[in-house]
Amino acid sequence: MKPTVPMVATELANRLRTDIMAELTGFRANDAAMGAQLLDMIAERWDSEAANLVAENRAFRALVLRAAEELGDAQAAQSASGDDEDLRISSLERENDRLREALIRVHTLAEQTDGEAPRALTDAIWDALRQSVEARRVGSANF
Amino acid sequence: MRELTADALGAYLGRRFPEWRDIRIEGFHRLPMGASRETFRFDLGYETDGHPREELEVILRRDPPASNVDSDRRHEYEAYRAIHGHGVPVPRMILLEENPDELGGAISLAEDIRGYHNSEYQVQQPEWAGRLPRLAQGMWSAMGTLAAVPVEQLDLSFTRPATRENTARQELEYWVASLDRSDVGPEPIIRAAIRQLERWQPVAEKLALVHGDFRAGNFLYDDAGNVRAVLDWEMAHCGDPLEDLAWSMARVFSFGKNNMRSGLAPREDAIRIWEAASGLTADARALAWWELFTCIKGQAIWNACAHVWESNAGREIIHAYASWWLHNAQDKAVLELMDRL
Repeated sequence: MKPTVPMVATELANRLRTDIMAELTGFRANDAAMGAQLLDMIAERWDSEAANLVAENRAFRALVLRAAEELGDAQAAQSASGDDEDLRISSLERENDRLREALIRVHTLAEQTDGEAPRALTDAIWDALRQSVEARRVGSANF
Repeated sequence: MRELTADALGAYLGRRFPEWRDIRIEGFHRLPMGASRETFRFDLGYETDGHPREELEVILRRDPPASNVDSDRRHEYEAYRAIHGHGVPVPRMILLEENPDELGGAISLAEDIRGYHNSEYQVQQPEWAGRLPRLAQGMWSAMGTLAAVPVEQLDLSFTRPATRENTARQELEYWVASLDRSDVGPEPIIRAAIRQLERWQPVAEKLALVHGDFRAGNFLYDDAGNVRAVLDWEMAHCGDPLEDLAWSMARVFSFGKNNMRSGLAPREDAIRIWEAASGLTADARALAWWELFTCIKGQAIWNACAHVWESNAGREIIHAYASWWLHNAQDKAVLELMDRL
């Protein structure tokens, strides 16, 4: 699509703020302001969303597979299968949800298991989760 | 949802109060306040036999069919009534109507305290910088005053009972159940925080009426930065007063996008002011527990916002906005509090 989605969304957000909001008051002005912020977030995330989800799914899959091997967990081995062949956001998010569910399970299991390897696995899971939060950061967020 | 109009409201008041004559509602309009309830402002006038004409400035709040907060009109109405007159400035309640058929949802009417501000964003403007210490003093002093009120003096029958020993576990279970109800996808960070919170819970130094959403944006202040009224009591409950302190210092409410909690003061100042006003001690381990807990509660609320859309229960812009804007920041706050950032 040309002009690009981020370009159009950013311009629409700016018009909402500068032209439309000036014509509104109270509740409607607030809705317009939030609408502009939502468009900013769409512009911010549009281009990178699929790439981020693929990278995240790859990292989560590797951690679940590692957990299967190090903790001897057959269910984790099964959860580590799957791929990101279908690049639609909805498909990638479904796969992301499936892997996050598996990650919760192996994270809990690693916490409950004594030893250096489970501790290192726990740290690796936290590293992946921190990278996920960094990749999903909203520019306008307070934190 | 049925549109709420001045005519419909006037007709309702006429039925509710047959002795009222010449009821006039002027300037009726919706305010941009909050994600959980609809808020309207208007002027009300009426006459009764043998009395001078009454002229009131009124706030109306209406329960929507779908909300991000699991609380009803009676809950907030009774919370205001419980704390009114106990040293924490709040508006006076006027009326509660719980029959949703009357005006398209349960409503409450309250005294409208006008002429003040309530914007957490306004005070981030450079011209307010010099007044932030006074705002911080007012906000955390009011919170400390609330914490100091003996619960035995309050009618808290509107909310879930609690003990010093069980309130932390009870609140955790309440908000985890809320998270489960508004499931918008598995959350490894939040679940790890829940596992940590389940391993140990603090015992409250004393029980208090906990406001439940005490932060910048939920109180009125004047031009000098004095706090004039505390609003939005819909999540009020009996519990550990450290919960309010922790909530007010949450990273997601750092509106200046810096280290100032609630956008008003550093964490140490907030604790110092609260301790002085409450006469309580903010035990470090207990406060750390409640700060992590606020991430569970926060995420439950932001997820409920998303759930309203995902379940086709509503289409308020603020629900989509809150979920998109706050969800990842809430996860990041967990990382910081669990030393994983």
